[in-house]
Amino acid sequence: MSTKKKVLLKVIILGDSGVGKTSLMNQYVNKKFSGGYKATIGADFLTKDVMVDDRIVTMQIWDTAGQERFQSLGVAFYRGADCCVLVFDVSLPSTFKSLDSWRDEFLVQASPRDPENFPFVVLGNKIDLENRTIQSKRAQQWCQNKNNIPYFETSAKEAINVEQAFQTIAKNALAQESDQDIYNEFPDQIKLPGDNKLNNSDAGCSC
Amino acid sequence: MGRYYERESEYNVERKKFNDLLDLRIEMYKKYQETLIKNVKKEVSIIAAYFYFVRGSGVGDWVKQIMEEAVTKRFVHEDSSSVTSLCAAVEACLSQGIKRRALGLFKTSSTTALLHKVAKNFEAAALISKKVQEIEHTDPNRRSSSSSDSIVTSRSSSHTMSSNASLTRPSLNKKSSSSGGLMQIQLPRYLWIRLALFEKLLARIIDHLVQNSSKYYEKDALVADPDYGSILSSLLVGPCALDYTKTKTPDQYWNDPPADELVQRHRISSGHTTPPSCRKTSINFRRTLHAVSSEDNTRQNPISTKDYVESLHQNSRATLLYGKNNVLVLPKDVEEPMPGYLSLHQTPSSLIIKWTPNELMNGYVDENHDKSQFWDYALNVNFTDIVYVHCHQQGEDNGGTVILVGQDGVQRPPIHFPRGGHLLAFLSCLENGLLPHGQLDPPLWSQRGKGKVFPKLRRKGKPIRSKIDNSEESVDYVFQIINKMSHREFLLEQGLIDPESWSNSAQYMASCVQRAKLSSSSTNSSTSLKSMNLEKGSLNGKDDSTFTDNNSTFVLQKSASGESLNTVCETMKKQILSRAFYGWLAYCRHLKTVRTHLSGLVNVKIIDGEGASDGLTKEVWESLRLDDGTICFEEEIYRRTYYGSIEHTIRKEVWPFLLGHYKFSSTAVEREELDLSTKQYYETTMTEWLAVEAIVRQRDKEIMAANIAKLSSESTSGEPAPLTPSLPNEMSNDVFEDDVSIISDGEPPFIDENETLSPVVEERSIEYSSTETDPKTNKEDANENIEILNSLSPNENKITEKSEEEKLLEDIQNFVNDSISSMCFMQQRDSPDEGVGEEADSEDENTESCNKNTVLETCISKNIASVIITTNPSQDSGNQSEISNGSRSSCSQLKSFPEDEKNNGDTFTDHLQEGQRSNCISPASSQGGVYSVEILEAFSLNVHRIDKDVQRCDRNYWYFNLDNLEKLRNIMCTYIWEHLDIGYMQGMCDLVAPLLVILDDESITYACFCRLMDRLSVNFPYSGEAMDMHFANMRSLIQILDPELFELMDKNRDYTHFFFCYRWFLLDFKRELLYDDVFIVWETIWSAKFVSSAHFYLFFALALVETYRDIIIGNQMEFTEIIKFFNDMAERHDAKAVLNLARNLVVQLHSLIEDQLSTTSTTSS
Repeated sequence: MSTKKKVLLKVIILGDSGVGKTSLMNQYVNKKFSGGYKATIGADFLTKDVMVDDRIVTMQIWDTAGQERFQSLGVAFYRGADCCVLVFDVSLPSTFKSLDSWRDEFLVQASPRDPENFPFVVLGNKIDLENRTIQSKRAQQWCQNKNNIPYFETSAKEAINVEQAFQTIAKNALAQESDQDIYNEFPDQIKLPGDNKLNNSDAGCSC
Repeated sequence: MGRYYERESEYNVERKKFNDLLDLRIEMYKKYQETLIKNVKKEVSIIAAYFYFVRGSGVGDWVKQIMEEAVTKRFVHEDSSSVTSLCAAVEACLSQGIKRRALGLFKTSSTTALLHKVAKNFEAAALISKKVQEIEHTDPNRRSSSSSDSIVTSRSSSHTMSSNASLTRPSLNKKSSSSGGLMQIQLPRYLWIRLALFEKLLARIIDHLVQNSSKYYEKDALVADPDYGSILSSLLVGPCALDYTKTKTPDQYWNDPPADELVQRHRISSGHTTPPSCRKTSINFRRTLHAVSSEDNTRQNPISTKDYVESLHQNSRATLLYGKNNVLVLPKDVEEPMPGYLSLHQTPSSLIIKWTPNELMNGYVDENHDKSQFWDYALNVNFTDIVYVHCHQQGEDNGGTVILVGQDGVQRPPIHFPRGGHLLAFLSCLENGLLPHGQLDPPLWSQRGKGKVFPKLRRKGKPIRSKIDNSEESVDYVFQIINKMSHREFLLEQGLIDPESWSNSAQYMASCVQRAKLSSSSTNSSTSLKSMNLEKGSLNGKDDSTFTDNNSTFVLQKSASGESLNTVCETMKKQILSRAFYGWLAYCRHLKTVRTHLSGLVNVKIIDGEGASDGLTKEVWESLRLDDGTICFEEEIYRRTYYGSIEHTIRKEVWPFLLGHYKFSSTAVEREELDLSTKQYYETTMTEWLAVEAIVRQRDKEIMAANIAKLSSESTSGEPAPLTPSLPNEMSNDVFEDDVSIISDGEPPFIDENETLSPVVEERSIEYSSTETDPKTNKEDANENIEILNSLSPNENKITEKSEEEKLLEDIQNFVNDSISSMCFMQQRDSPDEGVGEEADSEDENTESCNKNTVLETCISKNIASVIITTNPSQDSGNQSEISNGSRSSCSQLKSFPEDEKNNGDTFTDHLQEGQRSNCISPASSQGGVYSVEILEAFSLNVHRIDKDVQRCDRNYWYFNLDNLEKLRNIMCTYIWEHLDIGYMQGMCDLVAPLLVILDDESITYACFCRLMDRLSVNFPYSGEAMDMHFANMRSLIQILDPELFELMDKNRDYTHFFFCYRWFLLDFKRELLYDDVFIVWETIWSAKFVSSAHFYLFFALALVETYRDIIIGNQMEFTEIIKFFNDMAERHDAKAVLNLARNLVVQLHSLIEDQLSTTSTTSS
């Protein structure tokens, strides 16, 4: 189907239900916000090509169900993830509290080789709302304690910071991906240097 | 043809073989040309279909059709695989029949050389030629990397490819080629063609070639052909009009197309959208049965016409030895001989002869016509089953008839070859194909100048069948097929089983099983085996009546071979036999499993849909309703619903019946009573949870207030708030905890207001009790926090009164960490709705009440994070004593509280009913219920979730305005209140919504929803196993009904999860379909239980998969791609078509299960 090998980055979005995972994903990929999203059942994903460090990579962004009970089903999706995005709602402290359990859950289920350095990104969503209860300071502190997880405050509704956040996500995922194959069973590994060469020579030829 | 024969002047085997090949090639030659041109057409059409077609090429209708079709992209990327394939196809056309000598020095790379040659006379070609040379010179490295899959095609790679592609034609002139690949069509990437295409000059160059074909091409070359040549050049006009770009647009990187495009493409390329499964059933089934018995055979059995025809071509699994069209066969039950395509295939294990009626061969593009009858006529004969070949010839070259006779003596329909030596050609191919494991006996003779001839045998008096008549009128031959793999003793040894044989290859097993089946089904096995074989000196017992003298002699000579061989054969025999046996056994077991497993999925009897397709209309419904309101003929209602759905206007009436809420036999009066009691029950339940909700709300409010207070204090102090280490907590509490999470060490046990604090606590339990005398006193203990809550009801007046009398809230907290600090909190509040400002006022009171409640202090225990809630002294609740015990014991008692709660609930209910108020909104204020904290906690958690989902549920659907969303919420909460053990799970709202839309009444919807959940609740992750079962069933169904798809799915282990079906089953397809369709599908599923299958949802799911099977298979979709595909396709399915298919699938499986045994025996014979 494809004529060349692609770098595929798998990104998982986790967080309590209603924090805006689907909205963030759609805002980023489709540049649209809809008030009409339903609760996600099962899982869905979207893909987007992004330029990271002069390379084009494809991000496969997985949106998951927010209710933790459904997570046991999502294990299949966690595998092979290159980055995990944790989302909370800045107006709902409980969603912030859950970040810990989401993170742990992910590490257990996906079992990356190096859990300490596995790239996470935290997004505090819905900053457009007035009744904000989780202050940045607090979220930042949490992130710092967790090995300096990058933290972004976003609004899927108003497209604030979404692009930047996902750019970072892509970047970290790629760094992670190229480091080595973090999962033993990771299928066809893609050698980046080779790929680069290919691109260059491609440019030099007219066909 | 003759001219090729002339070249053959020797008798040696090599030559003979080659001669046959030549013969075949001539047969194939025209076909090949057709294939080539078809290839180009195909590639062009793909390009045209995918991309924007700027100008018309006017080649034919098909192009026009494509042009009208999808227009998705404006540019074609140069690296697109479509371009590559097109170039390959063009290359193949061009290289065919090229004049070698015309190429001069360049003959190593024929078409590139041709280009250079043409360049001398043609400007456009010169341009391209120059460019090609430039590239070749500037990039010499490329030559060495021909085999790499680099995107850019190099000259050297094109060279390799071209010589392959041009193998066919030139090899006719060269005797050195003995390649078996007659129709090798390579798909190379071609530099100059590519360039010419991008420069938009390709069509012109080809046109030039066609115009001057005599110069470059042999007479019979494709390009030189007046028709094909011009078609070729005009075909390419289209692609040359396209713009090609190297600039990558984002969507080209990810070239997994959206579901839309896939469906569109599929429509374009296949010309039909109907899922093939109905039509294919019989074939599929046969195939399945063969699956174990003979793998190779299975592969030969087609899954669809298209695939079947493709399987007739040369492919990786089978070598095409012979092919001839318009061979006449007279199938059973047919009067006139039918023309068809005869082909001979060599597979690794056997030789197969196939004959396909022309109707199937030619018509596969047009599927509208039902060709299924022709499948009955098609022949598919494995030569391992054939013992004799009878040939009847009318004159030397008048064509002839071949009859194949099987081991059981049954004759296959006669095959009549047209004149022209085809019979002989066929036989010689057959003979070659039988080698090395078998042979024709007697062998064909080779004759100088003529190739193979029929053996000249001495005339024999007795045998009727092997008579030779030298006169030209009629010549008959009987050839025996000798198979060296067989043994006479085969059957005699059948009882022996050699366990060692397990380790051997599956292929052997497969073929042996086949044989075992055959022999077991044969009544006179010794006879049939006798004829199977010889060569090993086992001829003795053989009755030679059917053989000519030379036969016997021939075999006898060989019989002298040694004893050792016999021993080896014996061993092999045993092994083969045991393998056969076990294979057969396994196969039987498999069938049995399938049968027992799947038979549960369909009803024993399926009620037919005769006249029911109109569905349940209002008239019918009314005619079935008796005067007293009872409904007669419920079967008819189910039947009509199943086959034709319900008229929308009466759905509201009928659904409760279908769901089992009303009984059909109930009278109108009874139903009214039921409605009433349902309503009462519903309202009662609602009152209960509303009371609890009020408590929960109040708590939330306070939390919020505290939050705000805290935030403001934080901001004023300017000191970063210490972060409470986050804990995995339950949501509702978390909210609260956050507010109170400021930690102040060393604080006294009694703290004003809500601030308490605690370091990290691992666990917490909360208990909550309230007195009957309401404003409940609540106490909650979170590990981190102490909270005191008042329960409030919206009804302020009452509360104020009561609250003055008594109100105590206490909180006790245990810190697990240090087990030292604990706190007790008491708070008294006047009114629920007080804002932050009021809190200060109440502080004094709180302190007071704390003092009073010394009891509470006993509750503080060391390591248990427990919360004990006490009521104030004035409480008369029986719970009080328990509570005041404090510590562990009290905790444990409280934990068992839920049981007591029932009783309380009852009394509560009674109270309510006595003083029933129509307004159920403020129930809690005057009467109390006693609920454990756990229950409150759990309910609070669920309510939050419900709120989140209700808001999001179908908010774009007209029905769900705020009022109706409120109804939805009420129903949901009521259900959850009744099923707190299960709790709310996402998706439940989706299930209520359609019911509510139809029924539009809270209590009835609630009752119906409960019925619905009787079946569906098991799907939720609460239990979890039901879903696995569905997946397993899906898997089995696909395995049985669509083996090809199954193969794809099974290839990828992940597929076994069938996760893409998850939402389907969880919500009964509610998310997959539009509302109107959901109604239809739902009622069909409900009624199906009484008509065809209690698991109709499985068949609907299967039908969904089958609807897109070609797309899934065509794109070799992976696990994730399928998920994405179906997610994209949500609400865009043609529900009616899928339903029809689903109903058909039920019938299919039903007939399959019924016939399984008989079919098994049929296919094995």
